[in-house]
Amino acid sequence: MSGDGTMTRSSTMSGERRLKLPAPNALVGGTLIAILLAAAGTGALWTPYDPLKLSFREKLVAPNALHWLGTDEFGRDVLSRLMAGAATSVWISILTVTLAVVMGTTIGLFSGYMRGWTDRVIMAFNDALLAFPGILLALGLLAVLGANKYGIIVALGIAYTPSVARVVRGTVLSLREREFIAASRVMGNGEGFTMLRHILPNCIAPLTVLATSMFGYVLLAESALSFLGLGVPPPAPTWGNMLAGSRPYIDQAAWLGIFPGLCISLTLLGINLLGDALRDKLDPRMRGSR
Amino acid sequence: MFRFALTRIGMALPTLLIVAVSVFVLIRLIPGDPAQLMLGDLATPASLADLRGRLGLDQSLPVQFGIWFGHVLHGDFGQSISSQQAVLPLILQRFAVSAQIVLVAVLLASLFAVPAGVIAAWKQDSSLDIGLVSAATLLLSIPTFWLGLLLLLFFGLKLGWLPVVGYVSIAENAKAGLLYLIMPILTLFLHEMGVILRMARASTLEVLRLDYITHARAKGLSESAVLWRHAFKNAFGPTWTLIGLVLGNLLGGIAVVETVFTIPGLGRLLVDAIFARDYPVIQGCMLFVAFTYVLVNLVIDLCYPVFDPRVTAQ
Amino acid sequence: MNRLFASAFALALSAGAVNAQTLTAVLNADIRSTNPGVNRDGNTDAVEMHMVEGLVGYAEDGSVGPLLAEKVEISPDGKTYTFRLRKGVKFHNGATMTSADVLWSWNRYMDPKTDWRCLSDLDGRSGLKVVSATAPDADTFVMEIDKPNGLFLDTLARADCGGTAVIHKDSVKADGSWDKPVGTGPFMLGEWKRGQSVQLLAFDQYVSPKGDKRDGYIGSKRPLVKEARFLVIPDAATVKAGLLAGSLDMALMPESDVPDLKNAPNVTLAIAPNPVRHSLIIQTRDPLMKNQALRQAIAAAIDFPELVANVSNGLGKPNNSPVYMTSKYYGEAEKQGFKYDPAAAKALLQKAGYKGEKITILANKRSSVPSFNTAVIAQAMMQAVGINAEIEVLEWATQLDRYNKGNYQMQAFSYSSRFDPALGFEQISGPKDKQPRKVWEDPEALALIDKSMVVTDPAERQKLFDELHKRFIEQVPTIFTHNDLDIIAHSKRVTGVTPWASQLRLWEVSVAK
Repeated sequence: MSGDGTMTRSSTMSGERRLKLPAPNALVGGTLIAILLAAAGTGALWTPYDPLKLSFREKLVAPNALHWLGTDEFGRDVLSRLMAGAATSVWISILTVTLAVVMGTTIGLFSGYMRGWTDRVIMAFNDALLAFPGILLALGLLAVLGANKYGIIVALGIAYTPSVARVVRGTVLSLREREFIAASRVMGNGEGFTMLRHILPNCIAPLTVLATSMFGYVLLAESALSFLGLGVPPPAPTWGNMLAGSRPYIDQAAWLGIFPGLCISLTLLGINLLGDALRDKLDPRMRGSR
Repeated sequence: MFRFALTRIGMALPTLLIVAVSVFVLIRLIPGDPAQLMLGDLATPASLADLRGRLGLDQSLPVQFGIWFGHVLHGDFGQSISSQQAVLPLILQRFAVSAQIVLVAVLLASLFAVPAGVIAAWKQDSSLDIGLVSAATLLLSIPTFWLGLLLLLFFGLKLGWLPVVGYVSIAENAKAGLLYLIMPILTLFLHEMGVILRMARASTLEVLRLDYITHARAKGLSESAVLWRHAFKNAFGPTWTLIGLVLGNLLGGIAVVETVFTIPGLGRLLVDAIFARDYPVIQGCMLFVAFTYVLVNLVIDLCYPVFDPRVTAQ
Repeated sequence: MNRLFASAFALALSAGAVNAQTLTAVLNADIRSTNPGVNRDGNTDAVEMHMVEGLVGYAEDGSVGPLLAEKVEISPDGKTYTFRLRKGVKFHNGATMTSADVLWSWNRYMDPKTDWRCLSDLDGRSGLKVVSATAPDADTFVMEIDKPNGLFLDTLARADCGGTAVIHKDSVKADGSWDKPVGTGPFMLGEWKRGQSVQLLAFDQYVSPKGDKRDGYIGSKRPLVKEARFLVIPDAATVKAGLLAGSLDMALMPESDVPDLKNAPNVTLAIAPNPVRHSLIIQTRDPLMKNQALRQAIAAAIDFPELVANVSNGLGKPNNSPVYMTSKYYGEAEKQGFKYDPAAAKALLQKAGYKGEKITILANKRSSVPSFNTAVIAQAMMQAVGINAEIEVLEWATQLDRYNKGNYQMQAFSYSSRFDPALGFEQISGPKDKQPRKVWEDPEALALIDKSMVVTDPAERQKLFDELHKRFIEQVPTIFTHNDLDIIAHSKRVTGVTPWASQLRLWEVSVAK
């Protein structure tokens, strides 16, 4: 969680015991995420102004009654862009997480169940990918795929797959020798059936926790990539490219950077709180992942 | 212990080889090449072919990889295409810049966050605990580059966008140079505080539940004695592991902070090299980062017994 | 030590040593070598031109004039060039320059082992071939080329060729490898601290070309300070701080810093356009974009004064001509550009049979060019007349690859400097089958360009360029928006600073006591 959007395993390993009260963190986190989703939903359908409309006479206008959050260097309404950006950002995050979870689960299940050389080779690759700083791996992939919405989803999806694969494989390995798996085998069930029927459901708890925090990382990574010069192409707003694009104007128009940054921070806070609450509830043995 | 270290390094070799190959392939898949970039709009088909030949880019990929890897095995990482500096010294020089920021930030953060985490765990569910955990969660939810921008904004607004306006003496200039480092360190420090505090708290909580702590308590030792003599010492092991992980990740991911503060560190070097298609630098950096990552993990594992008596006991 | 420390340290040093006789200028990156026209880039050329000189050099308006030559005589058949050398010109080691030195330098450049950048431009590989070079007497140097060429002297003068500088034998070591420039320039190389600074020392015995004022690389070139230093500071913010603090004397600054620097009490700005041309290039072979009426519609849809004002912080002026504004060939004809007329644009779209097909504009986010901002504004203006324009942001290397392959519909692109308009036209024109990167392939225009390269008479060339410009505006193979600006911020204690060709020139610059 170095703030660069890479997955640090520390988060998945901390396995903290949470406060026992009926989770105020779930409450606050849930509220923040609900606001985010509402904004994204609204932003996808309606915004106060056209988020792409230039207006040269209203460049870099400070927040006022007409433009609540001011305008940017092209005179576009910041609030409208934030709302439209929420929709794009949420959509990108959901697709990326889904992609990483699907790919990672498949690889993890396969590797964990095959064991032996197959497992060793797959995990060697997996470790090699983990040894890359995730953000830089994504940067390289993005350059190959082209910096567009789908490029970023595939690039980040691939970059986060190894973490998922590791968690799933760890769960599989720890479950493999348990009695109910052996029982399933004794009953004459095939390997594939056992895998899907008994092992996969046990991966759901740790995966839920991981996916929750990953959602936050994708949001961070998308803005970090924009910052480094390769993100979602900027005319269409995302929080990341709005924040990255605000940099040259930081001394003239602070609001350009403050609001998208605030949105990202609050969303991450919501996700972290919600993740903590989830982890308390599910208390998965995440440590098996390493 | 020595043999353990050797085995671990041996195990890391295939990983490094895969890193080398995949970086090589990935980077060549990206459209554009250094010859085009160097010639810009001056490129004629003939001059492009000529420059590609001189840079050795006209050979087949496996041959190029073989040549490069052969040199690496002899400790020669080649020369940067755009700056013509030797790659290894360049990496080390930039690494020193990044490392000083990361090390200072993580060290300072640990100094504050580890005790705070232990105290939070000790006073679990108290308002102090809730306050500390909330603050930590808040800190780690703020993206570092945004935090950096806010700091720049604050210092910029306060001191006129940059620290050295007006009269300048040598002393003031030295301060200015220092200020350039203080802000990125402060940024990382604040962020990592949140991360480390939560980790320290979690490990302490786990230790506090163990039998021997209950024992110690039963023996009538005072709470603070239990905490410092047993809990703290034992909780430090896992925390140390995680601090190591944080370090490893930071070294790779510091590019963003370096971009905000325009610091010529390793992260920025790599990102710029990717944009410039400076193949030798990209390959060298990636290999170096992966190697550092493996090394940090190894050192952490080797130190583990020092901090966690349970490991040596087994 | 890291560069930031190094630069802060250097700033501190220079602040301590502020001295009426030391001029401190800024480079954003270190020079690559001191070997003229060999291992080089823009910064290298800029520093090099203080130390060495060639037979001819560029004047401010992009024409070529004598530098080490007193005058140049061209034979009636256009093939023999006779250079009468100036007398009494000294090298930095005190030796007097003669035609033998010119010949020695020339032979060194023509030796493939030297790896001279411009060898292929003069040995016949790119069309022009120098058949012989001789030194009939101490003050005369004669070159013969295979066929008449209007650009031969231009090539010799080019900064990226190192100005085809005449250097003394002592510049190379006994084994023939490069040592240091022993030239005839106004400054001598002092100490070069790699990655930090290049020190230049005034050459006391310098003999300036004629002229009472500075004119590009020719004209009066006296060194007016004892010592000058180029400090390497990559970060523009550090440079700005140094200028404001008074520890730096002069630097090229980006447009975005103008508002801050304009109000600083001790800093003055000198601003002038340069030959770099910003544009929206068009792939005329694209199934959609090959429609000339559509291209005209796009040109009519763009409000250039508005666009240029927005991308240049209000400093730039529109110029739709391939001929840059400060060229001596930028005349009345060239001032006639595209006309902003949304109604006409809509009519042209009708005529073109445009049905809302998507047009993608490629752009990049490099801070040194207005590519992205130009694309965003052009997109909005195109959309306003009903063109379905989209932007695809690419990383620069990828965009350049697409440019070289001709794989795009439109790109917000910037063309590098060409002093001579013939070269400026050649840069964008040519058969796409052979060179996919070219944008204009009208055969008649190509013939006119070829002609402009052979003709040497300025009046006749002007006519050719006027005709080319007219055709260009008619056919819209590309839309030039404006010329780039050089902005030099300098301390008020410094006088004689003028921006030109994106380079800092330290001769004829003095420092107040």
